[in-house]
Formats: sequence, structure tokens, C-alpha cells
Amino acid sequence: MSMDLTMAWRNIWRHPRRAVLTMAAIAFATVLLVFMLSWQFGSYDTMINAAVKVHTGHLQVQAAGYHEQQDMHLVVSDPTAVTRILEGIPDVTAHTARATAFSLVSSKERTYGVAVRGIDPVRETQVTTLKQLIREGHYFTEGDTNAALVGGLLAKNLRVGVGDELVLLGQGRDGSIAATVVRVKGIFRYGQDEFDRNFIYLPLPYFQEVYSMRGAVHEVVALCVSLEAVPRVKRAVAAGLKTIDEENKLVVLDWMELMPGLIQSIKMDLISGFIFYIILIVVVAFSILNTFLMVIFERTREFGVFMALGTTPGRLTRLLLFESTTLTLLGTALGILAGSLVTWYFQVHGIVISGTSEMLRQYGLPERMYPQLSPLSIAVGAGLVLIITLVTALYPALKVRRLRPVEAMRAV
Amino acid sequence: MMQRTCLVFGLIIFFCVGPGTSSKAQDAQAIVQAGFDYWRGKASAAVVEMVIHRPDWERPMTIEAWTEGRSDSLIVIIAPSKDKGNGTLKRGKEMWMYNPKVNRVIKIPPSMMSQAWMGSDFSNNDLAKSDSILDDYTHTLVDTETHEDKKVYVIKSMPKPAAPVVWGMQRLKIREDHILLQEEFYDEDLTLVKAMTGSQIQMMGGRLFPTVWRMQKADVEDEYTELTYRELEFRDDLPDNLFTLSNLRNPRR
Repeated sequence: MSMDLTMAWRNIWRHPRRAVLTMAAIAFATVLLVFMLSWQFGSYDTMINAAVKVHTGHLQVQAAGYHEQQDMHLVVSDPTAVTRILEGIPDVTAHTARATAFSLVSSKERTYGVAVRGIDPVRETQVTTLKQLIREGHYFTEGDTNAALVGGLLAKNLRVGVGDELVLLGQGRDGSIAATVVRVKGIFRYGQDEFDRNFIYLPLPYFQEVYSMRGAVHEVVALCVSLEAVPRVKRAVAAGLKTIDEENKLVVLDWMELMPGLIQSIKMDLISGFIFYIILIVVVAFSILNTFLMVIFERTREFGVFMALGTTPGRLTRLLLFESTTLTLLGTALGILAGSLVTWYFQVHGIVISGTSEMLRQYGLPERMYPQLSPLSIAVGAGLVLIITLVTALYPALKVRRLRPVEAMRAV
Repeated sequence: MMQRTCLVFGLIIFFCVGPGTSSKAQDAQAIVQAGFDYWRGKASAAVVEMVIHRPDWERPMTIEAWTEGRSDSLIVIIAPSKDKGNGTLKRGKEMWMYNPKVNRVIKIPPSMMSQAWMGSDFSNNDLAKSDSILDDYTHTLVDTETHEDKKVYVIKSMPKPAAPVVWGMQRLKIREDHILLQEEFYDEDLTLVKAMTGSQIQMMGGRLFPTVWRMQKADVEDEYTELTYRELEFRDDLPDNLFTLSNLRNPRR
């Protein structure tokens, strides 16, 4: 056995240049996979964390059915009870409450139907990036009453600017007519038409008064320390909700339930990434197949002599497998090492793709992106390369069993 | 409330005249026209109680409504006191709403026409397009039934090819004495969306009239909006300035 290993090792280095090139191909594929997967996972984390800070938060407590129906009667009637639960969970870093109603909004010239949302002027800034998205005028200050923040496209459609009056006409929680005149205090731009065209924000206490909410809200939004903490916090909140007495059944929804589109686009990106990786690995696999087939053609006479001397086909197969495994293992090990180093470098320094910062900022994303090295991103890339190259090497190793000693010795 | 009233008016419009001797389509058209005219009269003034019913809550309101011709109406809320003075004016196919608290008139934009009126089961369109059944649909007599010993015409109304309508089909039940009993609204796939049913036919304002109207969504049992006529008077005409924006702001009764 150990003699076979020694022979395998020496056979590899009979052609040092070929051995190094093969290992380099395997290592290169591994480096690429480790880096690309870390990059993908890293950008997903960045995307998710940016997306939850735009709007939804990591978790929301709502009345059951509110997310689907947006029925303003499905309320969280005692938000402070929910807040108390959230404050008792150490992994929750911030929380806020919101209420929403659909109303007609009218300027002097135009009228549109929009979503009017009451937000807590102070707490909202700890959960979302809204304050940074104010492009004209100012964000709320505590104690503001009939002030409104208006989406950029909506302001354009209504032909209003900062300081202009808007009339809101909708329906309160008790069914009465909710009407008020507000003054535009700021104009926000998310860069996403859906928000910029359809939303008006009011300070929550004022919203509750106008829409007869009797202290109720529609969603209590929470932000967690990290994405990994979300399932843990969700369980804790769900357990806590059972202990409070509410007129509507309350549920806790995580970001995946609140933004199903985001998780779908991540899955899409992962799948298209994997198609690219498979193509890459197949190319590498062919180069390895080539190396080992060459070995067989070159050493046919040698194998013939071995067999004539009484070496079993099984032992020859083993010898060849030792050679290929050693090459592959060395190549992947090198690849993991180099890949981790490269990834780690960029994980510390970040990557700026020139020309994209404008677009990224529109979506609330930072212009510097960071790959995220993890056991998973290393294992998946390296594992794929390892398995496929080993399977490829099986073919020449088994082919050798079909050699006939006499014919083989005569081969050129 | 105003929207609801408008709907009611629309329904009333569907009442039909007795069948003539011409073709079936013309019969049906005449039946619908007569029903509509019987319902609205030349002009009318009414006090209506509206109740929005939901499984977990109920909201009553009282509204005062005036109609003239086939398309003009004015609806003003008189109770509860919190909403008193809110009004809806409909002229032609356009609608405006007025709120006394902010003292503003808002024109309902086209994009909001399919929204519920005041949270009821009536939409703005139900009110604004109440007379479109006459102009935008072709009517066919499909069946007859009896109701309180009187003949009832069942009429299928399909929209004309290019008509700007909301519904894929409507089905009307109109009694031989022009009283509209039911109006069903179907979507483009011809599934029932909601139905308005009249009941409690009594003498009111000098004619037999269903005094209770219920608009019910097809898929939910316990959600409906009910209108009950408290007072109803038919007149030959109403003051010209009644259906104006300035009267919407300061109703002169």
C-alpha cells in the first residue's frame, strides 16, 4: 500500500509541468467558486439588510390577515403591550409602530388616491432610512402635527412643493369621515416608483387622531442585531404574543413573508450563479480527463509490463486513483487557501464597482460591497470541484483494466 | 352615503314599462327604461338610512338625497353628527365630495372610481355610472317569474362592444308594474360579484316602491350595506341651483 502511494507520488512528478498545470486548473476553479459564492452570500446579506431598512424591518407584528387584506379594522389595539415584549428581547435593536389608511389626497389642482401612513417621528429613524431619503424640506420633529412627508413623484403629480397645503379625505377606523389639511414638510425619494408615487407620511399621534384610531396601529416593526438572529427573535415574539390579551389575533411575520419578492430574486440569482459554476467546473473536468487519458496512452507499455509481471488490474486502478486523488486534493487545498486569502482581503477592504454607486444608492444600498467568507461558501465551492474531478478521473482508472498485457506491451 | 343613494337611484331606474308588441330586445330595452324612470321619477327628494354591516361592526348613517333627470344627484349626510354636512355631488359622469371640516371640495379622480364609497359595498362607479345601464348595455328578456302574483321580467344586460363599463354582465329583475326587484353585477368572467336586492314594497311618495335595498357581495355572507327609505317624495322639478358645487358647500334645502 505505502509502496503504491510512493509510486503514485513519483509518477505525478514524472511530468512536473503537467502536474503543476493540472493542479493550477483545479485550484483556479476552487478560488473562483469560493470567491464568487462568498460574494453572492455577502451581497445577499447587504441587500436584505438594506431592504429591511427601507421599509419592512426584520420582523413585524400585525393582526392576522392584515398583510393580505390591508383592512384598516385589523389593528394592533394595544401597541405598548407588543413594544414591551420586544424590549424584553435582547436581540431586538430597535422598533417602531405604524398605521396606514387609504385616502384621497388633493392639492389645489389635482386629486389622487394614496396610502397615508402614520409613523413615529423618533423611532422610525432608528428602524428605517427614511430620514436620509428626504430630498427637499425637512424630516418631522417631535410634536409635529399637521405636517406631511410626500413622495417625490406624488408631489410632482400633485404639483406641490414644500410648504404647500394638501387636503386628505378618507375614512377613519370607526367608519367616520376622516378629513384634514396638512402642510408638506418634506419630500422623500426612495428611487422606487411604488413608494414615491403612492405614499404620504404623517406623524403617528396626529394620524391616530385624524383617523379615529383610538391608540391602535397596524404594524409594530422590529429590527434585529443580525439576520441570523431573526428566527430566534421571531419565536420569542410569537411566544410573548400568546401572553397578551388582544381583540384581534396577532401574528409575527419575518422579512421573507413581508417581502416574498426579495427571497425569490435571491433564489433566481443563486440559480443563475450555479449554472455559471457548473459550466466552469465542466471545463476544468475536461482538462483533468485529458491529463489522465494522456497518462494511459503514454504508459500503455509500462502497464503491459506490470501486468505481464503479475500486477492485478485492481492494483493498477488503485495506483491511478491515488495519482488523481493526490493531484485533486492538492489542487483544491491550494485553491481553498488562495481563495480564502483573496476573499478575506476584499472582505476587509470591500469592492466598489465603478459606475454603479448611483443606482445602488437609489435602492438604499451602500456603494462598497463586501464578500462574506463562511464555512458554507468554502465547502460548497471546494466540494463541487473535488467531487466532479474525482468522478472524471474514474474513467481512465477503470479503462486500464481492459488492457491485454501482450497487446499493451506492443503499443507505441 | 351619497354613493349608496346614487346606487339606489340607479336601481330604481331599471324599473320597466309594460311590454310592447315589438321585438324582444326592444321589449327588454323598454322594460329597463321604464323601470329606471319609475325609480327616479322626474325628480325626487329622499331621506335614507344606510347601515354598513360587517361581521364585527356595524355603522349606521342617515343621508338626504336629491335626484333630477337620469344622471344628477346630490347626497348629504345628516347623521351621525360627526360626519354631518359631508356631501357628494354627481353631475353627468363626474363626482365631487365636500367635507365641512376642511371646507374643501374634492373631485373624485378616475383612478378612485372603483373604490368603495364611504366604506360601503357601493363603489363610486355604482353611483356615477348609475344611468349607464340605459346607454351602454343591450338588454335581452331571458325569463319571467312571479312575485306577489305579479309577473317579473328577468333581463340579461350585456355591455355594448366599445362601452366604457365596469361590469361584464348585469341581470335585472323588474316587475310588470315597473318595480326593480334585483340587480346583479357580474365580472368579465361572468361570475357574480355583488347583488342589490329590493324588498318591503310599500306606497311611498305616491307610488309603490321597495323601501329597503341591500347590496351584498357574492362571496361573503355577513357583509352588506342596507338602505332604508324613511321619506321619499317625487316632484316635477327641483331648483336649478341644487346640483351645483356652491350648493354642495352650503346646502340650501
